[in-house]
Amino acid sequence: MLFNSLGFLYVFLPITYLVFWRVAGKTPRYVFLAISGYVFYSFWNYKFCSLMLLSTGVSYLAGLGLLQWQDPVRRRLCVAVSVATDLAFLGFFKYANFVVANVNGVASWLGGTSMVPILDILLPVGISFYTFHTITYIVDSYRRVITPTKNLFEYAAYVSFFPQLVAGPIVRFRQIEQDFKNIDRADQTADSEAGWSFFVIGLIKKVLIADTIAAVIDPAWARSSELSTVSAWLCVLGYSYQVYFDFSGYSDMAVGLGYLFGFRLPQNFNSPYKATDIADFWRRWHISMSSFFRDYVYIPLGGSRGSRLVTYRNLIVTMTLCGLWHGANWTFVVFGAYHGLLLALHQTIKGPWEHLPLWARRFGTYGLWLVGLAFFRSAGLGMALTLLGAMFAWRAGEDIVGANVLVVMLALAAAIAHWGPNTFEMRHRWSPSWVVGFATLFAVCLFALYGSRPAPYLYFQF
Amino acid sequence: MEGQPARRPLGQLRHVIPSLLVVVCLLDIASRFVSIDPLTFRAWEALRRSRPPGAAFEPNRHYYNERSYGDLAAMGNLRALRQYRPEVFTTDALGFRNAAHVLDAEVGAILAGDSFAVGSGVNDDETLSSRLSKSGGCVVYNAGSEGPGTGPEWIVAIARRLNLRSRLVIRLYSEDSDVLAIPTSRQVTFRKLITWAPAEIRGVVGRLRGLLTVSPLRILSERALKVLGDGRILPNSYADNVVRATLYNGDSILFRASHVNNFYSKREVAADYWKWLRAELQKARLDLLVVLVPGKYTVYRPFLVDQRPVGPGEGNYLDRLERELRAAGVPVLNLTPFFSAEAARLLERGEYLYWPDDIHWNARGVALAATAIRERWPLAEVLCRNPRPLVVQKP
Repeated sequence: MLFNSLGFLYVFLPITYLVFWRVAGKTPRYVFLAISGYVFYSFWNYKFCSLMLLSTGVSYLAGLGLLQWQDPVRRRLCVAVSVATDLAFLGFFKYANFVVANVNGVASWLGGTSMVPILDILLPVGISFYTFHTITYIVDSYRRVITPTKNLFEYAAYVSFFPQLVAGPIVRFRQIEQDFKNIDRADQTADSEAGWSFFVIGLIKKVLIADTIAAVIDPAWARSSELSTVSAWLCVLGYSYQVYFDFSGYSDMAVGLGYLFGFRLPQNFNSPYKATDIADFWRRWHISMSSFFRDYVYIPLGGSRGSRLVTYRNLIVTMTLCGLWHGANWTFVVFGAYHGLLLALHQTIKGPWEHLPLWARRFGTYGLWLVGLAFFRSAGLGMALTLLGAMFAWRAGEDIVGANVLVVMLALAAAIAHWGPNTFEMRHRWSPSWVVGFATLFAVCLFALYGSRPAPYLYFQF
Repeated sequence: MEGQPARRPLGQLRHVIPSLLVVVCLLDIASRFVSIDPLTFRAWEALRRSRPPGAAFEPNRHYYNERSYGDLAAMGNLRALRQYRPEVFTTDALGFRNAAHVLDAEVGAILAGDSFAVGSGVNDDETLSSRLSKSGGCVVYNAGSEGPGTGPEWIVAIARRLNLRSRLVIRLYSEDSDVLAIPTSRQVTFRKLITWAPAEIRGVVGRLRGLLTVSPLRILSERALKVLGDGRILPNSYADNVVRATLYNGDSILFRASHVNNFYSKREVAADYWKWLRAELQKARLDLLVVLVPGKYTVYRPFLVDQRPVGPGEGNYLDRLERELRAAGVPVLNLTPFFSAEAARLLERGEYLYWPDDIHWNARGVALAATAIRERWPLAEVLCRNPRPLVVQKP
């Protein structure tokens, strides 16, 4: 089920909201939230609920083990079993066929004949997110950052909390632990204004900006080899705003829904297109994911505590894994490695870079991001290189249908993304004229949702 | 951007947005009780909305649209290629496309099948059943329905309801239909239950289904978005549903993309369903004649400027099916040779057997089919006078 679907807006959200606030007591609310999460997930594919249940069960038991045992060996075993289970799920469902295809490719290249069959695997939506939730829970418990909960329903409600279930943000238990502890004392009206404000702004970002841009550039991406230089740039520029407004819109809606249920989910996007260098960019873009890789991969690898070369290695390894997390494709590997290299390069030229004017640093950072997006969006490396070729070597070719609309949308999107405040910088206490404006745009969103199939969020595929 | 904290409830998003959701939802619900006829481009959409289970359309309806146009133009959102024509469409008390009096008339045969049997884009007096009625001298009941067509249990139920003078069932099967499978015993039981259910209950179920599944607000919104996504303002996301081709005479013609793919695929041929259908109908002492209807692409592909070559085993689905049915002893008439020959002749005059903007045959195509059935099937002449066991000549 998508937040931008009429079924969610008319049925799931009202029922869940009304029942939740009429249920009293901690455990009943935990139970209800957990059930609603599974119901929400089952609208996509109920069979994979068992996978989430298993991941939840294993990490819950591992948490109990960590709570009970002080022996380092047993504690390490708890972490190993739980994290290995999650990574096994992730590895099998997300990367098995990628490995098989590459093994076959290498075998074929070496003249071999034995081919491993491609498996008929459906990627469970949100597996990259809820497995990361459980990993952060177990690792933080092991590090004694949090105390594992004894309440199974509380933990199940945390893992399956529907606003963050299928596309994040990757909320760590400690970030909403207090909200869970005080779930029976939550005030229904305290944050509801902010909740609706976040939700409406997120929906507008997704439906009116991201989806409109997608309507123009998606057909163009499909024939990227025939595009002119101008069209190729428009495609990449369009995608940069599509992916930002799509995912930050989803995150805003998730935060808004969190508020409606008394939870304060963390900020996931902090105006990334205002970043002044690539390290700054990754502190602002998909913050919950980038901080996950920082805290659970980069720092355990040694972070920046070693020599300069070791730091570079850690950056490149971390970002390559970060790229691979987005999908089983070499394009994502290149995207991650490219950003790892940029971060390493930034370490070496930090001084001179800081002396550049602000506009030049912002422009340069955004430009480097655009180049990476050519890999991020392309179906294969060949397509990415062709597109980059069209971008940087003048070429006549096909124009984009709807280019006029695209240019207007790009101007609007750029103004918001590069100069406007982000949703966490707003006070969400709107004057009546703003309320009327938002209500009008919300009505337009509803009208658009009626007339088309709800477009899935880009990050659902990751 | 940020104003002072709003105090009045109606000045707060937490009141305004849920209220707006409720209002739009109520508007949606209320609009479902209103006729959607003005929002439809042809009868098919309007009259299938609240059809009772088992029926093809809403019973006892009369639809008239001055500016009806083809389904392919609609599917591809190709406004410029629409061919506007008036459409008169009437349904009887059972929910099939017949005049009301047909149920009380002496009926010579039942015509079953899909939308080709129903007649799409043609008026009531131009459907195949009407043409056969005129040429045969007595009434042919139109039991055409959606998708794969009317099942035997419903045909038998109709036969019981009608005043039959001949026990003939003409079953149209169009080339682009799915390969039909024998239903499971559970499916048969379910279908029989439907035929036994009182008309009032089926009517209520149909009405409820229509209320739940068809939203006029959605239709209105889709139309508005289609105007924007016309291939000029925004890309036409519907364009891939159809294939636009040019004929030798320079005219444009549309095909459904999936039908073009069908033509070039090596489809399996099986007579099992038809043998089963014949046996089922024979249990009710009904005789079966299968009429194979060629797809538009099969008929007009030879006249296209850019033709994709046909590989071995491709493009001859109906011929193979015809052979299979003959071998199985199922009476069959393949309309492909008639349509191919006539299409070539008419093309020189810029005339067609199918609507250029529609999957279906036009009045001329229907007339040709009726003539072919009558010419190749001598019993049609004496349909109402001398019911006999069915014998079909090989064309």
